[in-house]
Amino acid sequence: MTTSVPSTTVADDIADDEALDNAVKKRLGFGFWVAVFWIGLVSLAALLAPWLPIPDPNEIANGTPRDGILGDNLMGTDALGRDVFARTIWGARISLGVGFLGILLGIVVGGALGIAAGYFKGLTDQIISFLVFSLLSFPSLVLALLITASLNRSFLTVAMTLGIVGIAPISRLARATTIQFAEREFVQAARVIGAKSRRIIIKELLPNVLVPMGALTLLGMGISIVAEGSLAFLGLSVEGEAISWGKSIVDGSQTRDLNQNSHVAFVPIVAMFLTVMALNFAGDRIREYTDVRETAF
Amino acid sequence: MARFIARRVVQLILVLLSVTFVAFGALNFLGDPLVNIVGPLAAIDYCDEVEAGLREDSYTSINNAKGDCEIIGEAKADFGLDQPVVQRYFTWLGNIITGDLGTSFQTQLPVSEIIAQKLPKSLMLMVMAQIIALAVAIPVGVYSAYRAGRPVDRATSVASFGLLSIPNFALGVIVLQFFALRNQWLPASFDDTSFGTRIHSLILPATVLGLGIAATYQRLLRTDLLTTLQEDFVHMARAKGMTDRHIMTRHALRPSLFSLITVFGVSTGALIGGSLVVEGIFSIPGIGSEIVTAVIRDDFPVVLGSVVVIATGFVVINFFVDLFYTWLDPRVRAS
Repeated sequence: MTTSVPSTTVADDIADDEALDNAVKKRLGFGFWVAVFWIGLVSLAALLAPWLPIPDPNEIANGTPRDGILGDNLMGTDALGRDVFARTIWGARISLGVGFLGILLGIVVGGALGIAAGYFKGLTDQIISFLVFSLLSFPSLVLALLITASLNRSFLTVAMTLGIVGIAPISRLARATTIQFAEREFVQAARVIGAKSRRIIIKELLPNVLVPMGALTLLGMGISIVAEGSLAFLGLSVEGEAISWGKSIVDGSQTRDLNQNSHVAFVPIVAMFLTVMALNFAGDRIREYTDVRETAF
Repeated sequence: MARFIARRVVQLILVLLSVTFVAFGALNFLGDPLVNIVGPLAAIDYCDEVEAGLREDSYTSINNAKGDCEIIGEAKADFGLDQPVVQRYFTWLGNIITGDLGTSFQTQLPVSEIIAQKLPKSLMLMVMAQIIALAVAIPVGVYSAYRAGRPVDRATSVASFGLLSIPNFALGVIVLQFFALRNQWLPASFDDTSFGTRIHSLILPATVLGLGIAATYQRLLRTDLLTTLQEDFVHMARAKGMTDRHIMTRHALRPSLFSLITVFGVSTGALIGGSLVVEGIFSIPGIGSEIVTAVIRDDFPVVLGSVVVIATGFVVINFFVDLFYTWLDPRVRAS
């Protein structure tokens, strides 16, 4: 990104590029691409769900109720005879949807607050920091519970709730990163030539703050997907016929179902576990990779 | 130290004020407060119609003692909805400080009584979970740091990464299915008959919660131990011919516990969230189950009261962790 320090000679440039290539080879690795492939596959299935050749996920008695895996339906059916595979794919739509929208909101608002606090300092910083500290004083699920219980339980509300929960930790990271970069030469140089705050923030600070945010997007999306599941267990996920992984797991974990046809809960559990693990793994890798580049310069 | 504590107490009070304000604000600014308190009936002109004799009052509360319209009227009076928000906040805050958390609109019981009855079970679950987490994480963390880079260490790294990626409700459902339903090794639900049965029936849920935090603890402890093992006093101990076991447990462990203690407070937050969910799975009649029921019944005073109690507890725990940490590490005290 724009962290490039002016290189003195061409040889230095080449050495830098080589170091970067090595970092890529050493850091990202095969596992990273497997994780990315899985995330891509699940996202694609979620996006294309209406056009995929799968049964209607809400059709009751699509197959024999409580049919096991690899029977007439690929992953069996639940207590009402609904197709488990189709429900898992449709569940990905809501789970990934609220996860992505949530973390997006968290990053936009939390990032803006964090940069403002870190750049302007003084009173702005004190007010924002106190707000963030208050939000962090709630266990995150309790905060989410408070919001969804007060509002309705539409798709957007749940996504917004997950976003609000993310604001405080994200703004802390953004603030710390901003403070670190605000002292750097290129920012001071920009200030010396008379650049306005807006220009410095957008052109100089934002690109640098966005780098650690990239890793956080993936990790945060995993956290949001899990949080949706927790809300589902509290009866506070998206309401109505909408299917999410969390709601599917709740559906399948009634004692009788769990005892006799546990696949109803286990199929969405496996889908959620693999996706969250892939997001964590990819996020960790990107974080290590960007960290290395930071210290290398 | 006294000045430090005084400063922290002021901070604690400020945070408690803001926490209660956020909780109160959620009730008052997100949506219609009356609807939040008594449910959707308040949104339509239901009471006006009853009073005008257009329809009969209905009795949907649990014990059918009061008509819905009467409950709505009481709610208006109780929460003083005709007064300005700031004034209502301070009235409400005053009530909380004196221990009055309001009355459940569904059961007509005081919220403080409901919480007093449910909270001990949740606390017991959380304490057991922390004990299990520490009992697993400390030995495993020490051993994996001792064997850093070897197959044992790699295996624990993979296992803890997996544990961090599995949501606690998913682990709960899997554990419930395997240990309680398919094989009836441990009880599937809470048994309140005696202290022993309580412990026995909390083993599964506490393990589910504990393993999740144990993974975090193990990773931190391993990293910190690896740093400590580079220190001169460890080399010194080794040079004096002390056994590895003695060095790991007597010399290296204690100075490596600082990050773990810091995270102890934070992990309590995760534990509270986790126990809300896991209580439902293992049918534990704790505060989490109570919140779930209250949400379904639109019983907002119970939700709000529980949230305030939980958030206050969380803040206070972190306050004490902070003090303990400072007392333990003179370097922090000085700065």
